[in-house]
Amino acid sequence: MLEIKDLHKRFGDTVALDGVSLSAEAGEVVGFVGANGAGKTTTMRIAMGVLAADSGQIVYDGAPLGVEQRRRFGYMPSERGLYPKMKTGEQVAYFGELHGMTKAEAKRSAAELLEQLSLTERIGDFVQDLSLGNQQRVQLAVSLVHDPEVLILDEPFSGLDPIAVDVMGTALRDRAAAGAPVIFSSHQLDLIERLCDSVVIIGNGRIIASGPVDELKAKEVKQLRISVETGEDLTARFSGTVTRDGDDYLIEDGDDQEALRIAAAAGRVTRFAYDQPTIAEIFREAVTR
Amino acid sequence: MTQNEPSKMRGLMLVAGREIRVRGLSKSNVISLVVTVVIVGILAALPSLIGGDDSDTRVGLSGDTAPAMQAQLEAMGGFDITVFDTADEAERAVEDETVDAAVADGSLFSLDGIGNEDETKIDAAWQTASVQTNLSDAGLSDQQIGEALTVQPLEFVTLESEGGVSSTLDYFTGLIISIIMFMMLMTPVQYIAMGVVEEKSSRIVEILLTSLKPWQLLGGKVIGLGVISLVNLIAMVAVGLGVSAATGMLSDLPPGTAGAAVSSIGWWLIAFALFGTLAGGVGSLVSRQEESGSVLTPLIMSLTLSYLGAIFLLNAPTSTFAEVLSIVPPFSGIAMPTRMAITEVPAWQIGLSALLLALAAAGALALGSQLYKRSVLYTGSRMKISEALRRAA
Repeated sequence: MLEIKDLHKRFGDTVALDGVSLSAEAGEVVGFVGANGAGKTTTMRIAMGVLAADSGQIVYDGAPLGVEQRRRFGYMPSERGLYPKMKTGEQVAYFGELHGMTKAEAKRSAAELLEQLSLTERIGDFVQDLSLGNQQRVQLAVSLVHDPEVLILDEPFSGLDPIAVDVMGTALRDRAAAGAPVIFSSHQLDLIERLCDSVVIIGNGRIIASGPVDELKAKEVKQLRISVETGEDLTARFSGTVTRDGDDYLIEDGDDQEALRIAAAAGRVTRFAYDQPTIAEIFREAVTR
Repeated sequence: MTQNEPSKMRGLMLVAGREIRVRGLSKSNVISLVVTVVIVGILAALPSLIGGDDSDTRVGLSGDTAPAMQAQLEAMGGFDITVFDTADEAERAVEDETVDAAVADGSLFSLDGIGNEDETKIDAAWQTASVQTNLSDAGLSDQQIGEALTVQPLEFVTLESEGGVSSTLDYFTGLIISIIMFMMLMTPVQYIAMGVVEEKSSRIVEILLTSLKPWQLLGGKVIGLGVISLVNLIAMVAVGLGVSAATGMLSDLPPGTAGAAVSSIGWWLIAFALFGTLAGGVGSLVSRQEESGSVLTPLIMSLTLSYLGAIFLLNAPTSTFAEVLSIVPPFSGIAMPTRMAITEVPAWQIGLSALLLALAAAGALALGSQLYKRSVLYTGSRMKISEALRRAA
């Protein structure tokens, strides 16, 4: 389990992080959401040891995170970077070695990953000769080559085509299924909703909402929606604030069980559910609150 | 999968290894090395090419002095001797070009001269042979003649004069050492700065720093480029000396050349540590390749000044200026090996100079790595050195 505890960071007069805490269990995919400048990148950089926090702590499996453990993490920074004049296969293997693999292991792992990413044919090409999309795949290979125990990815989906998004999404879920905590940030909230077990929302250097996706949605429940096939207008019979939308009745602050009885007596109930907000709606709500 | 705990040295060596693979084995470096080596080879072969063929000069001899002269010339070497019965025959042989020159009737015959060196030798042989013949005619025994002719060879003593240079060859040795030192510092220093900026501008440094410490990243780069330069240097020296040896020029070089060349490598190592780490440090202050020139200017200037100082020093190796320049770092890095090549330098000056340069290199190492550590992740406009040092790492 990776825990980020009470991080504080200032850049000059600007407070970048003001007590940021979040955590990812083994096998959990955590989506990290926030507007530009909210503190996502700073948090991830501190977690990866690239930046020092003014105060706060990174704890891994119950103990402060050390350099050697961090070497087994996989990281993708928001600003992508590769050596342009180095061959693709050589480059991926080099990063494997930097993460502590032997030369042979790194080479084998690089070849396997590049095959999964359909880059086998480009293994001997310079990175600068690859298309942007392929460079992104190489970047992903660089962060996965050493079979990382933890993944911290800053905007891993930005700039990817739909196929690459699927490849990346599958890779993240696979790592999580293998037991790795995964934290990634994204502005693509539909992806977060689809891939993540939990979501953390950050705004102005503070965590403004966090928790499992289902719980967050349940907490932010908007209204009860009942669809009934009946000729009768039931608006006046439901309690609470009722809005009619064709066969649908939207009920707020009413008694849901009583409403169900009334609807069932009036006709065939085709739908009875609380409308759940999307992550995007929760995010907007949280940020504007 | 096994995850080895990589030692600190392994990280350093991985970085150095990458530099050597990517930069040292790059097409451009290999081509430039081959071209340089060919040029060095041609330069080394040039004296013997211009000097013409090295075959023995064919000399015809006749007359009473012929046997004595033959003995003298053979002892000197470089002559192919034919003895003729008459002076006419000898003279005809010159006309027919079966010999290059002939000594007959007290004259040296040749078609259009045979070069100063051979003329001097033949003249010396003629004088000795004539004296021998005269003494023999006067009735002295061979032993008496031998004793009479045995003289202590002249001892050559050079009185060093202020600003004087002992010989042209020494001068050129010094010149070549200063040029090579300059080149061997200038090129890798620029590559180090470029490499640092490349990693910064491509943002790859952020990934690198998750598994490497800044000192490993900077140190590996400096070591890698140092090794490439050293290999280039050794290739040049080996080809230069090899060609000289093959053409027989090696023995003509001053006796101190080998020593000067070897000690130059030591001076180069210290000076490279100084300039290389500083280049990495100042390189990290900028985020774009276009800006690297501006931060490198002070380093390039001091390298150029060291070189120009060393050239000036060649003409006055014992002056106060030369002494100061070859002791004060960073100038001493080029000036001292240059000075050592052309003149005798007191041991205390060499020791002091090496100590000061090593101290300066240690200081540069600390300053360069601090600058690097503090500014390598900073992106944006150029950072001032003072600002970088104020920043928390």
